[in-house]
Amino acid sequence: MNYRKIGVIGAGTMGQSIAEMLSYKGLDVYLLELSEERLKSGLDNIGVSLDKQIEKWALTQAEKKLILGRIHGVSAIEDLSQCELIIETITEDLDAKKEVFRAVDKACPPSVILASNTSTLSLTELASVTAHPERVIGMHFVYPVFKVDLVEIVRGLRTSDETFKGTKDFVEQVIEKKGVMVFESPGFVTTRLICLFINEALHILEEGTASAEDIDSAMRIGYSFQHGPFEMADRFGLDSVHAALSSMFREYGELKYRPSFILKKMVRAGQLGVKSGTGFFSYDKDGDRV
Amino acid sequence: MNILVINAGSSSLKYQLYDMKDESVLASGRVERIGMDSAILTHEPADKPEVRIVDEILEHTSAIKRVLDMLVHPEHGVLGSVSEIHAVGHRVVHGGESFKESAIVTNETKLEIRKLFDLAPLHNPAHMMGILAVEAVLPGVPQVVVFDTAFHQTMPQESYLYPVPMVLYRRHGIRRYGFHGTSHAYVSERAAEVLGRPLEELKLVSCHIGNGASATAILNGKSFDTSMGMTPLEGLMMGTRSGDLDPAIVPYTMNKEDLTLTEVNSMLNKHSGLLAISGISSDMREITEAMSEGDKNARLAFEMYTYRVRKYIGAYAAAMNGIDVLLFTAGVGENSVVLRERVCEGLTFLGIELDRELNAQRSKEARVISTPESRVKVMVVPTNEELLIARDTFKLAAEQSKGETEA
Repeated sequence: MNYRKIGVIGAGTMGQSIAEMLSYKGLDVYLLELSEERLKSGLDNIGVSLDKQIEKWALTQAEKKLILGRIHGVSAIEDLSQCELIIETITEDLDAKKEVFRAVDKACPPSVILASNTSTLSLTELASVTAHPERVIGMHFVYPVFKVDLVEIVRGLRTSDETFKGTKDFVEQVIEKKGVMVFESPGFVTTRLICLFINEALHILEEGTASAEDIDSAMRIGYSFQHGPFEMADRFGLDSVHAALSSMFREYGELKYRPSFILKKMVRAGQLGVKSGTGFFSYDKDGDRV
Repeated sequence: MNILVINAGSSSLKYQLYDMKDESVLASGRVERIGMDSAILTHEPADKPEVRIVDEILEHTSAIKRVLDMLVHPEHGVLGSVSEIHAVGHRVVHGGESFKESAIVTNETKLEIRKLFDLAPLHNPAHMMGILAVEAVLPGVPQVVVFDTAFHQTMPQESYLYPVPMVLYRRHGIRRYGFHGTSHAYVSERAAEVLGRPLEELKLVSCHIGNGASATAILNGKSFDTSMGMTPLEGLMMGTRSGDLDPAIVPYTMNKEDLTLTEVNSMLNKHSGLLAISGISSDMREITEAMSEGDKNARLAFEMYTYRVRKYIGAYAAAMNGIDVLLFTAGVGENSVVLRERVCEGLTFLGIELDRELNAQRSKEARVISTPESRVKVMVVPTNEELLIARDTFKLAAEQSKGETEA
């Protein structure tokens, strides 16, 4: 399979990051958003992210131009019909995602692989609304996508071997990341482990055992994490962590997945981490710790 | 005998068609943006106007097909049929320690080139695509590979080893390989020819100064030492590459600026050199222009650049215990009058006397630019890597067909 044009549905944090990485790898990206406004904001953010990389000497201005030039903003699902692979990455809402899969299944020929970047929802359930469930698969990226070279390739009940092989080839040969095969299960490997890690850190904080700063330092320095659990949560977005935990809590029914009260409170207060400027720590508009 | 020379990049491909009767170029051209639906093929036949086509060319095999179509095109072509192409020569960046000279493409050759992908991850895979494409489109036509590193395989151990644990050399092939070998080989031979002296008796320092830059000490016709190392980052200061620096700067900078490996690599390869110091450009023409307008940073960049060239010439004169010929080649070396002047100004102690008038003359010919009294001959020798590839291809293909008829 020759991959050249990739569709990305949703220009939120993950959509931006995925589009940026795909284009950096030389692929043509068709980025779909509902409104002109959200699309523009998504594209602007990609520009900001590329500028940050230029500041770190990772890219040149010429490379930035080429990367942006390969990302085409589109507004209708039909605009994706030429793509060889489509990655859905809208909010983690099952009904909204089903709607997208129903539409994209109709718009694209059956040879096109339809992937979802969902971290907790059931691929089998998403696939059930399509006429070709065998081509539906999960591709779970980790943020920031251009830096983290891991993709969980998630097989739903009816995902075909061909679809899995095509996706694995794409991940390992085209975008040169490590692909791990995961069978459908809420939270897969990465989300399940990391959310429990964050949730347990929240319990330690609640109990007054240590401060957020010290818990982060302990794990960062002691166990070679790049960020400690709280900064990690801030970077994921506290609402996303909360949503993932709640969904796993529902699916598994085990108490260990119940989101901590501090997390709930902060989400209700709109303190969502990097994206709102405040979470457990404060951030400037470039996402750097203040 | 007609020889097609190919330089395949990951998304581009350059070609020249030579008639080896008189080493004339029948046509040349390039394909850019391979993999896109708007790839560009530019074809320049020797005696006809240039042609440009924009069309979908998705991979190297179709690129080669399009090139062949052009070469036999009733209007723009230069050949009656593709059977008039007798051999194909490829430029390959990295030949590692396996290739000390050019080689006929066989299954073993291809396997060896594959093994070297690690050492030249950007270049060798692309060259391999070119080789496979020609194999698919011109089955049975002999192919030859000519390596940038091959000429430097004559370096002695004391030149090519780094003083780091030997296990790294044995395990990963960490050593100096050097690059621009085809160019250094061609210009040194040409210089000896022009001087009418046997190359085997000369101590020569060759400065290939283009976008990338390297200096080579050539002793008795063989590469004795060269400034580029395991990768083309070492040695002279370049357009956007740093060249030599204290290796401890790398971890120190990574720590202070919180950089990843990719970032620091990109910093040294794409954000350093002339561009970093001048803040203006990586292009020597723009640097000299800004300098003449009084730009201080451009002046500093120019001074650092020429100083480092001078240091290498001095070092190599010492390495060979003498120097008979200093030569300049490639884009900047062939064209920058001020650069050659500034480099030679500080080398009078070596017996270098530049003739300012000869230096200022523009020409496409190999020529001497030092005074008749100068103990060291300073020369400008335009490089022609494609011609050397064509010659090697011609020689090896002829030997092969001779071997076949005899057998």
